[in-house]
Amino acid sequence: MIGPYKMRLARAYIPFQRYGQVWSPAEGLRRGTIFPELFSPYIPRDKGSCGTCQ
Amino acid sequence: MWIYEKKLQYPVRVCRPNPRLAKEIITQYGGPDGELSASLRYLTQRYTMPTGQAIATLTDIGTEELAHMEIVAALVYQLVKDAPLHEIKEAGLSSYYADHDRALYFVNASGVPWTAAYIQSKGDPIADLHENMAAEEKARATYEWLINLSDDPDVTDVLKFLRQREVVHFQRFGETLMRVQDYLQCKKVY
Ligand SMILES: [Fe+2]
Repeated sequence: MIGPYKMRLARAYIPFQRYGQVWSPAEGLRRGTIFPELFSPYIPRDKGSCGTCQ
Repeated sequence: MWIYEKKLQYPVRVCRPNPRLAKEIITQYGGPDGELSASLRYLTQRYTMPTGQAIATLTDIGTEELAHMEIVAALVYQLVKDAPLHEIKEAGLSSYYADHDRALYFVNASGVPWTAAYIQSKGDPIADLHENMAAEEKARATYEWLINLSDDPDVTDVLKFLRQREVVHFQRFGETLMRVQDYLQCKKVY
């Protein structure tokens, strides 16, 4: 069970986001979202020969 | 109807030409997982969505993808506009130059032109929403490979913003899928 849902086979489930703390508009623009729980930055790889440009 | 804001959703300021990077980033302009594909896919599929919430979500995200297409266009153009011809040749962009000079055109990173075959509009909201969630993940992955290829911090900064938006879009399509599945299930039961 996820929340009120009886889980059925052969269908997808995604948890609903709940509105909570948000960043300021300026911070949200910088990060790409105002929602801390949706912010998931990428760690670059394959950068081998160019260590200075990160 | 749309209202146009005469500014980019996220600022683009590129200091030096980099036709090699432009050739790679252009795939998010006219490639299969790019912003033109995304915007047209959602703005077309929305007519057969069964609920007002789903139609609104596809309209909102489709509109934002148009704004992302504009950001990618600004990136590519700023990376090529002052590039000397010998650098364009070295970057493997001479065949692009032969057809388009430094103008924007909808191609992927290998120069293949955009085609409507990249997108689907199935008339089945569950199938379409799954396609859209996959499209967001493919766009996110493309931005990650582009971040790995980027040697310009100003470009990387914009790519990171665009990538994060795909993560948010995936969540919104997921929530929409949940609502649409429940709506269709209720219709079946009652
Ligand atoms: Fe997206």
